[in-house]
Amino acid sequence: MSESLGVSVSEEAMKVFEIINGSTLSLSLFVDVTNAKELLDSMQAGNLEPEVALLNASLIPDTFPVLAAAHKTLVAKARESLTTRTLHSELVYNYSGSKHITESLKRCGISETTTYILAACFSASSEEMTAVEQIINGREIGLEELEARANQAQIQKHYKISGLELAISSVGDAITCRIAARDAL
Amino acid sequence: MEIKGPSEDGSLILLKQGAEARVFEATFVGRKSIVKERFSKKYRHPSLDSKLTLRRLNAEARCMTKARKLGVSTPVLYAVDTVLHTLTFEYVDGPSVKDLFLEFGLNGVAEERLDDIAVQIGDAIGKLHDGGLIHGDLTTSNMLIKKSSNQLVLIDFGLSFTSTLPEDKAVDLYVLERALVSMHSSCGNVMDKILAAYRKSSKQWSSTLNKLAQGTRLFPIPTLPFFMPQIWY
Repeated sequence: MSESLGVSVSEEAMKVFEIINGSTLSLSLFVDVTNAKELLDSMQAGNLEPEVALLNASLIPDTFPVLAAAHKTLVAKARESLTTRTLHSELVYNYSGSKHITESLKRCGISETTTYILAACFSASSEEMTAVEQIINGREIGLEELEARANQAQIQKHYKISGLELAISSVGDAITCRIAARDAL
Repeated sequence: MEIKGPSEDGSLILLKQGAEARVFEATFVGRKSIVKERFSKKYRHPSLDSKLTLRRLNAEARCMTKARKLGVSTPVLYAVDTVLHTLTFEYVDGPSVKDLFLEFGLNGVAEERLDDIAVQIGDAIGKLHDGGLIHGDLTTSNMLIKKSSNQLVLIDFGLSFTSTLPEDKAVDLYVLERALVSMHSSCGNVMDKILAAYRKSSKQWSSTLNKLAQGTRLFPIPTLPFFMPQIWY
C-alpha cells in the first residue's frame, strides 16, 4: 500500500515542459539523496542509464531558467554545435551561465556530497522517468518547493547578482538573462 | 529538427517593422515574448553585412543585461540566436510613455502621474550614465510603463554603447530633450523634471549637464518647421 502511494505521489511531482517544436524536458526534484557518489561515478564512466542531467538544485530558484537553458541546448543540438559531449551535460553547462565547462559542471552539476538534486531529461518516455526515479535514492518533492529551498547567497555569488539588480528583478529572471547573454559577452 | 526564423514561421504576429529589424510577438517556453529579428541589408557587401548584424545583435544583448545590472529595468532577455539574428525577450505589458504623454496632451495632464514618470526617467538615465552606459535612442516610444507595477522599462538598446564621456551622456539627454519638445510640448516642461531627477540620481550630473548646456548653445536645432511643417501651417 505504502509502495503504491509513493509511486503515485512521485508521478504527480514530475513535470513535463514543451521546449521547442514538440521536444520536451521532464523535471523531477529530489531531497535527501544518499547515492550522489554512485550517480556521479556512473555518469563520469558514461554508463548512467537512462541518460539524464543531474543539477545542483540549490542553485535553481525557479524552473524557467532551466527551460531557457534547455531551449538553448536543443537549438545547439539541432545545429550540431554542442560545446560539451552530450545533450544532458550541455544543459548543465548552459544553466551555469559561464563559459568555463569544468567549473560549470562542478558547480551546477552534482558532487559526491549533494543531497538536493533536480533531474532533467530530454524527450523522456514515462518509463524512462520512472527509471530515473529508481536510480536516485531520495525523496521526490514538488517543483514548487524550488523557490523556498534555493540557496540565495550561493546563487548571488555564482551569478554575480548585486542587490541593485535584485531591486528590479527576480533571481530567476537575473539567471535567465545570464544564460541567454553568455555567448554575447 | 529544423529551427525556423520568425519570418518563415507563420504563427508569429508581426508587431513592428523598422529600418534595422522586425519585431514579432511569440511564445518562449510558455511565456509571452517578443522576438526582434535583424534582417540583412542587400545593399551591403555580404561579409560586412553579417559582421555588422552580428556585432549589433551581441551589443544589444550586452547592453540590455548591463542596464539591469545597474538597476534599470529592461525586458528579461530569454535567448540570443546568432544564426537567425534574433533576440527573444520578455513581453512587457503596458503603454509607451509616448502614448501616455500624447493622451495627456488630448485629455489634460495628470500632474501626479506625469511627475512620477519624469522622476523614473531621470533616475533611470542617471543610473545608466553613472554605470557608463549610453542608451543612444532615448525617445518616449522607447520607454514603457509596466501595467502591473507602473514601473518604467527602457527598451531598444540597438544603438547603445558604453562610454564615460560627459559629451556622450549629454547627447543622450539632448536627443530626449528634442523628442520631448517636438512631440510633447503640451505636457509642459517635462525635461526640467527629468533633469532634476537626473541630478539626484547621477553623481556625475554636473559635467554632463554643463556639456548639455554648452551643446544647446553651440548647436541649437534651427527651426522646427524644417522638421515638422504640419505643426506650423
